[in-house]
Amino acid sequence: MSAPDGPASSLRRSVALVWRTLRSMRTAIILLLMLAAASVVGSLVPQLPNSPGRVAAFLDDHVFWGRAFQAAGFFDVFGSWWFVLVTALLFVSLVACLVPRSRAMIRAARQRPIQARELDAFPSFTERRVSSSPSDAANAAARILRRRRYRVELDPNGAAVAAEKGSLREVGSLVFHWAFLLLLVAVIVGKGTGYVGHATIVEGYGWTDARLNYDGQLRTGRFFSGNFSGTQITLQDFQDAYRETGQPMDYRSSLVLANADGSDQQTAEVRINHPMSFNGIRIFQYGFGWAAMVRVLRGDQVLFDGPVVLGQDTSTGGNPLAQPWLGVVKLSTLRPQVGIALAVFPDGEAYLRSIASGVPQPMTQANAPFIKYQVWSGKLLDNALSGLDTRLMHMTSTGLVGEGWTVDLDRGCAISGPSGDLPGSSKVTCPHASGPNLLTMSFPELRQYSTLQISRDATVPYVLAAAILIVLGLLPALYVSRRKVWVRARSDGEGSILQLGGFALQRKDRFDEEFASMVAAVTEAAGAAGDRAPEEVSTP
Amino acid sequence: MTTEQWSRLSSDAFNAALFAYLAAMVVSFAYLAFRKDRLHTIATVIGVIGVIANGASIVTRAIAADRTPWGNMYEYSSLLTFLMVLGYLWLVEWRAKVRTVGGFVYGLAVFTMAMAVSFFYVGPTALMPALNSYWRQIHVTSMIIASSLLGIGCLLSIVYLIKLRSEQRGLARVRSKAPPPIMGGSIDTSDPSAPPDYAGAGDEPVGSDEQGHRIALPPSATLDALAYRFIRFGFPVWTFGVICGAIWAQQTWGRYWGWDPKETWSFITWVIFAGYLHARATSGWKGVRAAVVALVGFVSLLITYYAVNLWIGQLHSYSGAK
Repeated sequence: MSAPDGPASSLRRSVALVWRTLRSMRTAIILLLMLAAASVVGSLVPQLPNSPGRVAAFLDDHVFWGRAFQAAGFFDVFGSWWFVLVTALLFVSLVACLVPRSRAMIRAARQRPIQARELDAFPSFTERRVSSSPSDAANAAARILRRRRYRVELDPNGAAVAAEKGSLREVGSLVFHWAFLLLLVAVIVGKGTGYVGHATIVEGYGWTDARLNYDGQLRTGRFFSGNFSGTQITLQDFQDAYRETGQPMDYRSSLVLANADGSDQQTAEVRINHPMSFNGIRIFQYGFGWAAMVRVLRGDQVLFDGPVVLGQDTSTGGNPLAQPWLGVVKLSTLRPQVGIALAVFPDGEAYLRSIASGVPQPMTQANAPFIKYQVWSGKLLDNALSGLDTRLMHMTSTGLVGEGWTVDLDRGCAISGPSGDLPGSSKVTCPHASGPNLLTMSFPELRQYSTLQISRDATVPYVLAAAILIVLGLLPALYVSRRKVWVRARSDGEGSILQLGGFALQRKDRFDEEFASMVAAVTEAAGAAGDRAPEEVSTP
Repeated sequence: MTTEQWSRLSSDAFNAALFAYLAAMVVSFAYLAFRKDRLHTIATVIGVIGVIANGASIVTRAIAADRTPWGNMYEYSSLLTFLMVLGYLWLVEWRAKVRTVGGFVYGLAVFTMAMAVSFFYVGPTALMPALNSYWRQIHVTSMIIASSLLGIGCLLSIVYLIKLRSEQRGLARVRSKAPPPIMGGSIDTSDPSAPPDYAGAGDEPVGSDEQGHRIALPPSATLDALAYRFIRFGFPVWTFGVICGAIWAQQTWGRYWGWDPKETWSFITWVIFAGYLHARATSGWKGVRAAVVALVGFVSLLITYYAVNLWIGQLHSYSGAK
């Protein structure tokens, strides 16, 4: 050490200082409290992954704070670099705390209890005269302490006993902290390498697990490899059941699952609270709704043929089951472009009852369904979105279409379909016309769709194991108290004098009782060997 | 009785056993924390009731199914918990007179039974599907118990701070009056750490001239110790409850943790009370500082319990509404 103030040495000292700081329990707690503070922000400021709509609204309403929050990463606290940094520091700090403690615990577990010389210095101390010899008295004390599940070390030469109990406290504490560390790692690895998204599948249709097939937001972890499972899911049937009150009871999707190459095909049922695992992904019942099968023709040319997935506008309030389901068919190839806005009433009978009684009736099942449509002509502004922006369009016709009907969209009247009126309105028929430019729409049937949540999280079992270990470690860490007891006997006349001393690191009040009962038990055992009753020795 | 009635009876008995074990678990942990013999007696009584209900569930199930009741994982689990708790009560508690492990046994029984109902339930006949609200119920029950325990602990901490202040004020008054030396010594008024001991040593109220304003509180040291006990008891229950909530969320929403406000605040509360327990274990953080942490925890607890529900509605809905 020729230059103790040289740059290398000062660097070493700063590294040592950083390491010492990280090792202290206070640092770990401060980091943990920082995570809590970050979580407070995350719960008060709208979060992009949970509610992107509210984030957008916040950005519109508060321009300055919106920008400031965006720069600080407040809209995605749990994915921000500083949250990750604090978590990483906590991780390092925990390891730095736990490694030396674990080593010390292993060392202590190997070591036998150590004899003490001066027993009268301990918080609990007493002396008793007993009738048995010192070695017999020490043996008796060791026996009694063992029965009380102390770890006992009996000195073979002198008549001395050292005993301790409650090492489970430190074991529990370490299990708890290591398990917490494992939990952190498992959560980060699981979320980081996994993904969560939603798949909307119409009855009778299939779906493949690939990036482009997810609707809405697909959340992938930052270490996700990009390999989706390619699992094929076909929705055979969707069932929703309601109580008589209209309260939902059960939703179930009957699925056919297969691997990417079509192998391992199997049927399965996914219900609320009954998810299933297949091919490394987990499938949950997430949502459902109605899908209108619609076919639009211009003359003989098919412009659209397939399901229109419908959604609801819940902003109006009221029972959503009584509201119509909305969707749009966009015909962007036509000039001018055409958008058909659909309002689907799944249960025509219930709708009729709503009109008659003035009380909205839930439409829970397909029963004489019909569609109110509006045909808009002009320029489509929002081809990619599910809504219809009509700012550059004008309405050309409007009308009704029942299940099994075909309507003339230009004139707004029915061309064909089963005879009879729709519930609540009479069927407006027009003479059948044909021609290359006749725009027709037919509504063969109403189906249901099921929205499944698809996720991959490989570390769920580890997270669960860590959580169980946390609870199992916590209990001894909080409730077990560490106690140490020593006994020494020296010969005195025919019998011997016993010295008993000890202390507890926790629950000191309780230890006084335990110590007293231990003293009584030991003196009785050591005194019973002879005929003289044990008596207390007055301490000098 | 019809098959369906028998099987319903079996399910009811199963539920009764599950909740009896849950209650026995909580009381056993309370016994661990407080070491009151009466708590242990209560836990044992509830445990015995649970075993009886569990046995009744197995027998009625056998009648309903008309076969030996260990045909599937659900029935196997039910039998396992029955034997486990019976074995514990008979061998460990009655024969070996060991009282401290009951909570673990009951906890394991609750876990096993809840798993059985959640993942393995198969009715002997067509039953009303028991929606898996078991984890939710265990979760909610645990959270309510933990909240009340932590709440009591925090209230005691607040009372502790009030009491400590009044003791310090009383001490200051004593010091200003310069009391005459008492036989064989004098009151040491120079040591700032003295107040709790000083006030605790004598039952005579300090500053008794203000008798009308004085609240009869236990000495601050007692309050501090009691607050610690309640929080130490509530914390593992809270931890257990949060974990059950995560298991339920994994089943229902497909993710065990999604940082929604309720989850976030339960985590914040957990961290604060973890901080409290660490503070208690660190020298120099006992007493006032720990009580302040408990106070912060109390605020967080209230936010978790009420504010989250009042501010933000349910994020998750099963309707197709977008």
